[in-house]
Amino acid sequence: MLGKKFNLCFVGKFSIIVLASLLIFSSAVLAEKLPEKIIVGCLEPLTGAHAVFGTEAKIGMELAVQHINESGGIQSLGNIPLELVTEDVGETAMSARLAAESLISKHHPVAILGLYISRLTTAASEITERERVILVADALVDSVTEMGRQYLFRPAPKASMHGRSAVEFVLEAAEKAGVSIEKIAILNEDSSFGRSNAIGAVQAALDNGLTIVYQKEYPYDITDASSIVHGIATAKSDFVVHCPYFMDAIIFAKTFKELGKIPKFISGMGACGYTDPESIKSLGEISEHYSNTYSYNPAKNTPQNNKFVEEYAAKVGHIPTEAAGMNYYGMWILKEALELSGNLSPDDPLNPDNLRKAFLALDLTSGPAVETFPVNRVTFDGKGDNPYARATIIQVINGESKVVWPFEDAETECVFPRLDATY
Amino acid sequence: MKHKKDRIIEKFLLLLLLIFALIIPLIIGSNQYNVLLVTTVLLYGVMATSWNIIGGLAGQLDLASFAYLGLGAFTSGTLFIRYNFSPWIGMVIGGLVAVGFALLIGIPLFRFRIREVWYALTTCALVEILKVVFTMWEEVGGPVERYLPYYRGSLYHMRFGSYIPYYYLILGLLLIVLLVNYRITKTKLGYYLKALGEDEIAAEALGVNTRVCKLRALVYYSFLIGVAGGIYANMYGYVHPSFFNGQESIKVAILGIVGGRGIAYGPLLAALLLVGIQEFLRASIGGEVSGLYLVIYSVILILVVLFRPKGIATIFQGIYQKLIRREVKKEDV
Repeated sequence: MLGKKFNLCFVGKFSIIVLASLLIFSSAVLAEKLPEKIIVGCLEPLTGAHAVFGTEAKIGMELAVQHINESGGIQSLGNIPLELVTEDVGETAMSARLAAESLISKHHPVAILGLYISRLTTAASEITERERVILVADALVDSVTEMGRQYLFRPAPKASMHGRSAVEFVLEAAEKAGVSIEKIAILNEDSSFGRSNAIGAVQAALDNGLTIVYQKEYPYDITDASSIVHGIATAKSDFVVHCPYFMDAIIFAKTFKELGKIPKFISGMGACGYTDPESIKSLGEISEHYSNTYSYNPAKNTPQNNKFVEEYAAKVGHIPTEAAGMNYYGMWILKEALELSGNLSPDDPLNPDNLRKAFLALDLTSGPAVETFPVNRVTFDGKGDNPYARATIIQVINGESKVVWPFEDAETECVFPRLDATY
Repeated sequence: MKHKKDRIIEKFLLLLLLIFALIIPLIIGSNQYNVLLVTTVLLYGVMATSWNIIGGLAGQLDLASFAYLGLGAFTSGTLFIRYNFSPWIGMVIGGLVAVGFALLIGIPLFRFRIREVWYALTTCALVEILKVVFTMWEEVGGPVERYLPYYRGSLYHMRFGSYIPYYYLILGLLLIVLLVNYRITKTKLGYYLKALGEDEIAAEALGVNTRVCKLRALVYYSFLIGVAGGIYANMYGYVHPSFFNGQESIKVAILGIVGGRGIAYGPLLAALLLVGIQEFLRASIGGEVSGLYLVIYSVILILVVLFRPKGIATIFQGIYQKLIRREVKKEDV
């Protein structure tokens, strides 16, 4: 009897020791799996024609990482901080690929943010797919999420959504002002980005029963826009939605003014030209009342956004640009996905497939990511796009860029129709 | 006259280099970045060595290399996308299309004696013209990227999951380009090209048909780069008018000049050293201080031009000749 009792005790003790060892071993294994820092890659064009956007994007990411770490890092993973590693992708597909391969092989990042240019994103995303690294893209061309990439997510509104937002803004503003709008002219420069914007505008125009009386795709290095401006006036278009680059926006604005053929409204789409500080400086008074779409709302009055705008302005000297804003909230969205992955897959939260699952399961309606995002909902569809993403509209009023749409998040009332409209 | 012993040493060294080139991917194959890097360096080597025929030997400052690369890429890519044409055939057709275009441009250019800076400007403009044409030509190009169908590991479609097969493809093409360069220098055409490269008027006075010689050089150069374009399209998996890149064309010419004009292996040496250094600098400091690596790269380039105006290859030539002289002296003693 005693022996039996002793035996039972021994088995019990033995079981407890084995279980405890297993627990220690598994937690040691788990601790081994979780690094001291989570490496996030920044791949942006820091040299060449797009360097200005890449540099702003990098600053946006750096501030986001700083704010995330100050708030305790990734809490569901034991407050692990993020660390940003950067590589310059240059201007060509060749250099973008080299940068992606180099960054992944040297640092093994959990995720990468950036690329900005669609053709660079195309080149680098083949590598992130092969290596199963999450890519939070800031290139807006629609085709970026139509390549069937599994590990690519794009929170910002895609280019066609910018085109749609430009049309919807004009329609809402016209309704508010009691102005009749029926005929639309659509212009875009001849890049894939310009075309994607125009496609969205055409679709929105058709959806809203507008008549497209003039449509033109022109080379971005156009030097004379007079025939196009004449064409728009002859077609008696009520308003123009236009996706320019930078110099062509200046040429168009000056031509509208010089020829004195100004429609009721001219709305930019795609965030390039008309409303950026350089264009305002170059155009002077002519820039007044031009508008453009933006993937980020610097005027969104939330604690996190105010903090970002304040610190960015202190560091750079002006409010955050679109590239900076997109990457700031992009980093916060990644942070939320890491938190969710920690909860959904505690055994292996940094596994690319688990992190991908977390991205697909995200449905954010509050928190720092949403506070800096143009709309109050962040989620991803099967293609990696955020179906709720919408652009905001910025208009030049008294020489300053002001957020005027969506009306509920507006900084000030929009000026509609143009005060200098001639027909 | 070279000694028999020197020839044996030369052949042995070449064999060693070839073996080394063949086994590199096996040594570094586990790191895709390293394989891509050496593949990219070799691709520049192919382009700069091809450029050597027109730029080095014939002395024409041609800045249209990426025009021919783009034509080759678009031909091969479009045939693949539209007709499921194997890129193995597509890249040869791409080379022929590049030749056709080169002749179309070269015949009037050489007929009207467009030379020196005017030739450089014309060829530079060609790249930009083709970029605009292909952006507007919706059936083939257009502003949106055209993706090549993806067949993982398909030899017929020249689509591989790793860079290693592309490395060997480009290495093979490089050997052909080097061989063509070498063979040309040993033929009558090579002597004619050298003569007109040094003084075109004097060569004409001696009875050299400079127009035909330059056209023949242009044909070799454009064909080889056109073929490389086919591989390029498959390696990157898409075609886009941005392939017609003026800046990269200038870079190829710089490699050709810095390497040593007219020396077959000079441009390859320049590609190995300069592209390697540029990428090393970009990867190590490019993310920290924007553009600093380009400044350092430019300084290196200036130093090379200042101290070795005849090209990097002359350094190696000097060392080699010193060694040979020492050997000959020993034998004489």
